[in-house]
Amino acid sequence: MTLDFSVILDNWPLFAAGLWMTLVVALLSIAAGFLLAIPVAIMALSHRRWLRAIAGAYVEWFRNIPFIVVLYIFFYGLPFMGLRLPEPVVGGIALAFYASTYFSEVIRGAVLAVPKGQLEAARAVGMSYFMGMREVVAPQTLRLLLPPSTNTAISMIKETSVLSTITVAEITYQGLVVQGATFAPFEVFLTTAALYWLITSAFAHGMHRVERAAGAAQGSQQARHSLADKYLQLGMRRSK
Amino acid sequence: MDFDLLAFGDAFPRLLPAALTNLTIALGAMLLALIGGTVLTVLRTTGIGLLTGAIGVLISFIRGTPILVQIFLFYYGLPALGLDLTPIQAGVLAIALNSSIFITEIMRGGLAGMDPGPVEAAIALGVRARTIWTRVILPQLYIRILPPLVNELTTIVKGTALLSVITVVEVLRTAQQIANTTFRPLEALLAAAIVLFALNLAISQLGRRIETRFAARRG
Repeated sequence: MTLDFSVILDNWPLFAAGLWMTLVVALLSIAAGFLLAIPVAIMALSHRRWLRAIAGAYVEWFRNIPFIVVLYIFFYGLPFMGLRLPEPVVGGIALAFYASTYFSEVIRGAVLAVPKGQLEAARAVGMSYFMGMREVVAPQTLRLLLPPSTNTAISMIKETSVLSTITVAEITYQGLVVQGATFAPFEVFLTTAALYWLITSAFAHGMHRVERAAGAAQGSQQARHSLADKYLQLGMRRSK
Repeated sequence: MDFDLLAFGDAFPRLLPAALTNLTIALGAMLLALIGGTVLTVLRTTGIGLLTGAIGVLISFIRGTPILVQIFLFYYGLPALGLDLTPIQAGVLAIALNSSIFITEIMRGGLAGMDPGPVEAAIALGVRARTIWTRVILPQLYIRILPPLVNELTTIVKGTALLSVITVVEVLRTAQQIANTTFRPLEALLAAAIVLFALNLAISQLGRRIETRFAARRG
């Protein structure tokens, strides 16, 4: 069996269209998911127990079921409620809700990592709770938010492949189309995977630069040299 | 249209047995992934440049691409290369490979946080590398990484639902079959979501219990 990548070249417009669709859907749903996550995180951080319970249930529910099930529920549920929308929009909405639960945990973690005294000091000088959160705590969370947000965003870019199951013409869907026409599955799905690899690598690389510019993730690598390093320290190539 | 509670309730008797398929596939894939992840971790310490380089590329590839595409590569791609697999076999292998990669990364994190003392002692005593792994490092490491491993198992369970796309009759596909006869997709899908949610909740609760039992031995 020899690999024949000419089928890829013959069908490049399909892959290009799929790449564009993936980028647009991923970008919009990640942005919407992050915005949606802010109120959820605020509820999760509230000292009112019932607000925390609602946010907790929302997060636990979405995090414990597969995205494909969430997607199908939106796909059949929105028309059920009388809302008929194009598939890419339905997929984007489903992904935004799914992403919001992961982002809300990221935001919650970042806010909790800011020392309590900061908000207390803001309150002491007469700021309201929300003003203190906005003016004092939020700016300090930015550095802490970036690395885990990057990871979550990459997961969500990968989840867009599931939208192929509701016929959104993104990369994976185009891969299935080309596969059906050419019967060259290995070449096709290797190319499909390579396109995602390109997107996620480029995104990770770009965010890494932003993180460094923002002064985040200054690896707290303590200089510990031990005989045991051979066993205990793997893959240190990225340390500096 | 109204929500049909009867159709919703009727879905459960068929979905619950289907959940056993998800659980079996998940446990099988987890077992393979634990073995695969351990082997990869040990290989990464060999210091053979070509080998560790290749593993590095594999890690980046698996982590950088969607598991659905990896499942398609195994299901559609391998038969084209002359290796015939049933949908379940292809699915288990794809999930296991994906998870091996995430487990070796979990193990890397676990190793970095381990007390070097016992390992140094073993090296100083001239203990063979194999024995250092099997008697000193791994027993501590598995206990140490138990929480993220349980978390990984819930990720695997979520991955099993994707196998519905390659015709494996698990919870999600069963729900679709039910919907095809009742014309009540939303009811069947919500029931499927609840079944999968319950499965994952049970796993994480069980994990928390085991964790507290082992807590004394962690460190």
